[in-house]
Amino acid sequence: MAQVPVQTIHRDPQLFYWILFPITIVMILTGILRHYATVLMASAPKKLDQKTTREQRSLLHGMQVRSSFHALSKRSFNSRRDALITAYESGAYLKDPERKGQPPANPMTDPSSMEGMMGMMKNQMAMIIPNTLIMSWINAFFSGYVIMKLPFPLTIKFKSMLQAGVATKDMDPRWMSSISWYFLCIFGLQSVFNFILGNDNAASQMAQQMGQMGPQTAQMFGPGVDPNKQFLAEAENIAVVDHYSVLDGVEDRLLEGIRV
Amino acid sequence: MPSELELQISPIVQESLVHNTRTLVNLQSLTASLFGVSAGILGLESYSGFLYYLIFSLITSALFYVVRVAPTSIASEKPPLDTSRYFRGPVEFWTGGLMNGLAGFILTWTLFYGLVSA
Repeated sequence: MAQVPVQTIHRDPQLFYWILFPITIVMILTGILRHYATVLMASAPKKLDQKTTREQRSLLHGMQVRSSFHALSKRSFNSRRDALITAYESGAYLKDPERKGQPPANPMTDPSSMEGMMGMMKNQMAMIIPNTLIMSWINAFFSGYVIMKLPFPLTIKFKSMLQAGVATKDMDPRWMSSISWYFLCIFGLQSVFNFILGNDNAASQMAQQMGQMGPQTAQMFGPGVDPNKQFLAEAENIAVVDHYSVLDGVEDRLLEGIRV
Repeated sequence: MPSELELQISPIVQESLVHNTRTLVNLQSLTASLFGVSAGILGLESYSGFLYYLIFSLITSALFYVVRVAPTSIASEKPPLDTSRYFRGPVEFWTGGLMNGLAGFILTWTLFYGLVSA
């Protein structure tokens, strides 16, 4: 098998100073800007009125009692269980008890739920606008340059992705154009942001997409959920707990531990 | 695997676990970028570059174990190379960094390879 000669392309070293570094610096600065924009735009949690807070807190209280029953003694768990179940089933903690059987309000008409959607919209915007701007900026100024060579070989499939705008048929797919350096920056700059901004930063769009899939806890008190049904379900959950305490048989364990 | 009762008697604090993992991830992503710089300056290509990354990130994990985890872990009568005192699973500790740092490694590797060998 004949050795394929290594392609060499003579490039102006000035390409680095006028393409590579500007793109990298702009990407880093955009990440920092996005981080601070997210921090500044984060709306403070809205103040809830007393009834709503009571409704949510009492539901959380029931969950806590159910999940850490082992820290309570039998007697105190039983009295908590009786009180909670009675209150849940009579609807004592509901925000407006007379609306008990009715279907929940349409989330679109509720002004409080609109704010949550606005917050999500803002985050989306903070991601989309800079990306579109930088993409079109790179396309407008830097398309068609081959700036460097990847240190590892790739299959021919990557050619259309890495060498967008450079329609040269026989060029090794290892050569990459400025737009693919942009993609590398998107994926690889997270560690740089970790270093500059600390770990909880909002600079990388990758991290944000992960975050959107993650927490579902906000849905618990979201619009369109009937609190009365939640209370009834929680009352049932508490009722079936089979109680034991961590202190059951603790004296035996202690004696086991200090035996010589 | 400890039973439910044992977990309730001596519970695992999620916040501490998250903090430990985060410290490890920070270290790994930073070192991965530095390995990329060195691999690029050395001019490594294809397999040797990835091998370099693999070996050095395993060395990083091992050093992290020896310097930070081992003293207290062995003192509390855990067997050697057991990270269960501070981390959730051995796989996460030993190989989690490979995926975390790979993108950063490739970025700096490409950059410095391009800068040096151009």
